Amino acid sequence: MSPEQHPLIRSRSWIPETRLPERPRWVEAEGGCGVVGLASSVPIAGRHIHGPLVQMHNRGNGKGGGIAAVGLSPEQMKVTRKTLDEDYLIQVAYLEPKVRSSLEDECIKPFFKVERKYKVETSTDDALLGRFDVRPPDVWRYFCRVKDEVLDRFIGRAGLEGIPRAKAEDEFVYQNSFKVNHKYYAGKEMQAFVMSHGRNMMVLKIVGYAEDVISYYKLDDVKAHVWIGHQRYPTKGKVWHPGGAHPFVGLDEALVHNGDFANYHSVTEYLAQRNIAPLFLTDTEVAVLLFDLLSRTYEYPLEYIIEALAPTTERDFELLPERKKKVYRAIQATHMHGSPDGPWFFIIGRNSYYERRFQLMGITDTSMLRPQVFALVDGDVQIGLIASEKQAIDSALDSISEEFPAVPKYADKYWNARGGSHNYGGAFIFSLHAEEGSGDMRLISTNKFGTSVAAPYSGWDHADDLALAKPIRKASGKGSYAADIIERKGAAPSFKAFVSSLKSASGDEVNSLFAGMVSYAQKGDSQREEMLRLLTLVLDRRYDTGRIRRSRLVQKATEALDATLRTAFRIEKNERSVFQLIDIKSRRKLRPPESPYDKLVVDCRGFPMEGEDGVSFIIVKARELGWNLAIVFGAHGQRFIGCGMGPRSKGFRMDIYGSPGDYLASGLDGAEMRVHTNGQDQLGQILADGKLVVYGDVGQTFLYGGKGGEAYIMGSAAGRPLINAVGRPKVVINGTCLDYLAESFMAGNPLYGGGFAVVNGVAFDGKGDLEELPEPYPGGNLFSLASGGAIYIRDPRKLVGEDQLNGGRISRLTEADWNLILPYLKENEKLFGISVDKFLLKVDGVKKHPENVYRKIEAVPMITLSGKTQMQDIGE
Amino acid sequence: MTSSKDIHAAAYPAIALDPSERLRFMNCHSVTRADTCISCGMCESLCPYGVHRRVEGHAKILPPDDRKCIGPSCSVNYFFCVANCPTKSLSVGPSDNSRSLGDPRWPADVVLATWRMAETGKPMSLDDPANCGLSGGGFDELRFVLPSKKTRYDPEDISVSVDLNRRGTGEKITLPVPFYGGGMSFGSISVHTMLARLKAAKTWGTFICTGEGGYPALLVPFKDNIVLQIATGLFGVREETIQRSRIIEFKYAQGAKPGLGGHLLGDKNTPDVARMREAVPYTSLFSPFPFHSVYSVEDHKKHLDWIESVNPKAILSAKVSTPTDEDMVAVGSYYAGAHIVHLDGGYGGTGAAPEIAKKNIAMPIEYAIPKVHRFLEVEGIRDEITLIASGGIRTAMDVAKAIALGADGVVIGTSELVALGCVRCGNCESGRGCPRGIATTDPELERLNPPDWGAERLDNLYTAWRLQWCELLARLGMEDISELSGRTDLLRYRDRPAKEVGR
Repeated sequence: MSPEQHPLIRSRSWIPETRLPERPRWVEAEGGCGVVGLASSVPIAGRHIHGPLVQMHNRGNGKGGGIAAVGLSPEQMKVTRKTLDEDYLIQVAYLEPKVRSSLEDECIKPFFKVERKYKVETSTDDALLGRFDVRPPDVWRYFCRVKDEVLDRFIGRAGLEGIPRAKAEDEFVYQNSFKVNHKYYAGKEMQAFVMSHGRNMMVLKIVGYAEDVISYYKLDDVKAHVWIGHQRYPTKGKVWHPGGAHPFVGLDEALVHNGDFANYHSVTEYLAQRNIAPLFLTDTEVAVLLFDLLSRTYEYPLEYIIEALAPTTERDFELLPERKKKVYRAIQATHMHGSPDGPWFFIIGRNSYYERRFQLMGITDTSMLRPQVFALVDGDVQIGLIASEKQAIDSALDSISEEFPAVPKYADKYWNARGGSHNYGGAFIFSLHAEEGSGDMRLISTNKFGTSVAAPYSGWDHADDLALAKPIRKASGKGSYAADIIERKGAAPSFKAFVSSLKSASGDEVNSLFAGMVSYAQKGDSQREEMLRLLTLVLDRRYDTGRIRRSRLVQKATEALDATLRTAFRIEKNERSVFQLIDIKSRRKLRPPESPYDKLVVDCRGFPMEGEDGVSFIIVKARELGWNLAIVFGAHGQRFIGCGMGPRSKGFRMDIYGSPGDYLASGLDGAEMRVHTNGQDQLGQILADGKLVVYGDVGQTFLYGGKGGEAYIMGSAAGRPLINAVGRPKVVINGTCLDYLAESFMAGNPLYGGGFAVVNGVAFDGKGDLEELPEPYPGGNLFSLASGGAIYIRDPRKLVGEDQLNGGRISRLTEADWNLILPYLKENEKLFGISVDKFLLKVDGVKKHPENVYRKIEAVPMITLSGKTQMQDIGE
Repeated sequence: MTSSKDIHAAAYPAIALDPSERLRFMNCHSVTRADTCISCGMCESLCPYGVHRRVEGHAKILPPDDRKCIGPSCSVNYFFCVANCPTKSLSVGPSDNSRSLGDPRWPADVVLATWRMAETGKPMSLDDPANCGLSGGGFDELRFVLPSKKTRYDPEDISVSVDLNRRGTGEKITLPVPFYGGGMSFGSISVHTMLARLKAAKTWGTFICTGEGGYPALLVPFKDNIVLQIATGLFGVREETIQRSRIIEFKYAQGAKPGLGGHLLGDKNTPDVARMREAVPYTSLFSPFPFHSVYSVEDHKKHLDWIESVNPKAILSAKVSTPTDEDMVAVGSYYAGAHIVHLDGGYGGTGAAPEIAKKNIAMPIEYAIPKVHRFLEVEGIRDEITLIASGGIRTAMDVAKAIALGADGVVIGTSELVALGCVRCGNCESGRGCPRGIATTDPELERLNPPDWGAERLDNLYTAWRLQWCELLARLGMEDISELSGRTDLLRYRDRPAKEVGR
């Protein structure tokens, strides 16, 4: 007990002396999970987080689910605004309802002025109750403040005179809850525990799936500004308790976690030295206690908290400004032992009471080992979202937009965090604060360093956006605006007319255009084909969208496309048509095509995410039956699409719309797949042959273990693309990658038939114009330990340095190299409209010779990799 | 039970006696006869093993056939030739083989006994010291408590088969013997060695894992006996190879080197191997650790679901090493949909695995098996998942011990190589280092080991092993090897006979 100890830490000196759990001291193994969080400027009803949780059902195993809500409504909480804002909202879960009176008498009544208490309502639906292996606890809600005399006594006894009274009160609540949990949960019998005790926030969790929390505790209509949800996948123990489910709380923050720490014991030890003892024995609890320590005790600003959790390392550290380096070095030296090691991703929702802010943040580990997607919706209603999968974000927005038409079904911006990055920091924070004057909530999103992150703003108009948001009217579209575009010969001229019209088109006009397209498509196969092509161009290309925002345009084009395809002839009707629609009801009616040009149109609505009733099996079967063309639309997270066709898939082409799930096209061996949206994680693993085109970004481990084929990515790849790829894959990535591109690449010599990746390092801005990214490759690991293949990187400003390489070498682009990659860049131009001559070869408006624009990163023989024999070129 | 036995009894191959010139000298002991011998014939009349022989009509006795000698331990017998020789012309001691071979884990006795079984197909007796090594740990410290009375039994009445698939999904596969061959890749061993293993596996109706890196077209006819390994480098994994395999093994880690990926050093990455793996010849090929797409259990489930979407019929095995939380890994694998949990302990590994990792990282397999077995029982899912153990399982008794500790079956590797003549020199990582042409991809060296010859030796070894299990089960009063699973009460520590193993 050194005198330098922080008073709060000193006040907890009794904690280590309590006898800790006598149950086996194993850590409840966490494994992975599905996590989602959203922060909105308007209160959002709980039912909107139901959808994403259902869609990430397969990320949990029903052994734990939970939600947290921050920024609640006083009416729904049955208290006054003042009480909600000022009082602690203590929620106690009674596993054994009979202990309630003794717990209240012992731990609540003597210490708190209870403003209001009541039992949280629960569902009586038998079907729902039948799903629970473990009965969910009865939860009682107490709105209360610490009694003055109790607090005085506490301050005197604990020696907290030096700190603000409010913070001492926080500490009292924290320690009191520890006492409750220690006595009623961590002892021999698990009878009750405190689920949450922060102000204006609550946690509810059960043994079961997270979506059932919403149903059981009747949260469908409960409104909050910030929601986080968690599907748990624990793997140990036969008997689970809701106490082990996420979220966990510190004081006024709730945390959910995907991943697990390798150094749980070290972090626990670090906490023990600061008189903090976990009681629930999961690494998530440890994580939130760590956050609480850094935030409430040490009062670090958020940036430093994040640095202490996920330290900036290696090259990124070197690139920090000197002043920052000094601070970070000190933080790392002090807190390294408490820094969680291993794969983890935290989503934290908190009521930052002293700053009057509700916050949602996502923090990724330095090596980015867990999947994460961030998204932002701007406008009248602002929403920040974080999830394990993009499709979960889309699902939440789909649901919210039903209630708030101002919210489009797709976000204005999606992005991944690069862990420990020197420029963004690997963490993003959505902060809600009341605007002065109106009192309306506004959302600010920032990165770790506090720099704001905004959605690309193209100057769109709110009124037009809302006009377009209206449902597409049936059989309208007679207006001259629509007719002028639709009736042009061919999709390309129509599209050109559409783009040029957008500068002045109103929301109503565009709405009527989509309506016109849908009804025009009903006229026949060729009309449907033409509209399909036009809508595909609308979705695929980037251009100035004028008074309409792009996300809205994508939403409406997708709706129009869905309507166009859903009205195709159903397969079981055996009508003569090129388009044959199959959906969940008719999935067993699949039959051979009547002509080789027939297109199988698969409506993903209602299909499960995986398994033998899934979309991927329909595609495999269709290929076996002789279909050459397929259109998969309305995808909402379905996994493995395009897997399993095997080498017989050459000549097969598939177009995908919606939000397809993980492992798309993994194992592709000959077919062509076009993804008219962003891809998720594990795209094109072991891709052997064929062509994969993605009109958007791709997630983690893209083309892991790839063997060949061609892939074109319009946007960027997240971490670890092309890792361990061999053979002859040929890849064009127009954006960049977060890190670890082409680690252990072994694809021979590209000039003699081997593989390569072209990284262009460019992106479209909000106006649809191309621009160079600030760095063509931001990561600290490029082409590490590669023994073959090459990276061709567009880097006219020579920003890529040897310090990013680990074994490779940067060399000059030769004529042969340029001749090799040019055809692929030309194909890239055809696909995405990214011109080689007009854009890629131009630097500051001046056309340059390719060797001054592109640089080659190639393998060099390394002692670590070669045996006694030198590396040789492999030829074909 | 009888039905499966009937099916399999017919499948057991006959013993092949194709003597190996190269491995003829498998004597443990050397008997020398000095010139002072007077050919009195005393030794011939005394020795019950037939070491000394005199051909009728010849004056001189033949040189001693020391392959049959039981060594200096014979001195307790009244017929010990050395003591009885009137001219003191005989001496017995360790043979050159025995002096130069072996290490505590694989002592010369065990190597030579394996060679002998591979040569003759005859089982060792259950109390032969060569059933165990001298490592002072692991299976070497465990002994079965056997009733002293021997019973008469017919090996045909005893089943040693094991079900690999106990779940509702996928193909039902029953192995007639409680083992299959572990993953050794093309590159780490020669194609002849792979062929020999597969031919034997086909005869016996069991499987061989091809290891990482796919397999050459030459092996495609054996596809029904191939376990395809999906390892972290994803070398050689394609949809067609996944689709034609009946068992798919996900190699998350290797017990011999947990935390390290696979590695094939540059010398062994010959152009043939490089073509197979589509990599650059003569560069070292490292597989990462772990799977870059699997950092948690829900990724693991997704990973298995992926393979299921490519081949829904295949049965899936998750091969993991033995960290302290391996029980939770096993349960996680069950919930992810795996049919087999394959625990790979730290005693295995060829010479290519780094010394510093071998035996030093993973939990000893004899602790790992009961831990997982009991945990799965407590979870109530033990009957739905097959538990396979591997890592340093050398002899038939090791197999039986692993099963008694709680496994359903085992995976073997090194013992098969020893049957093919491996001398355990430990040069497996170098391109032309293998004196027997087993762990090499050198086209010249691999000719030392013709596949048919190798297959026969493996057949013989399996035959001998099966007979050993039959005898063991008969003495324990069992008819099916599944009765042995989890019977730790039948095992005792060598020095602590009273203490039941694992309790």
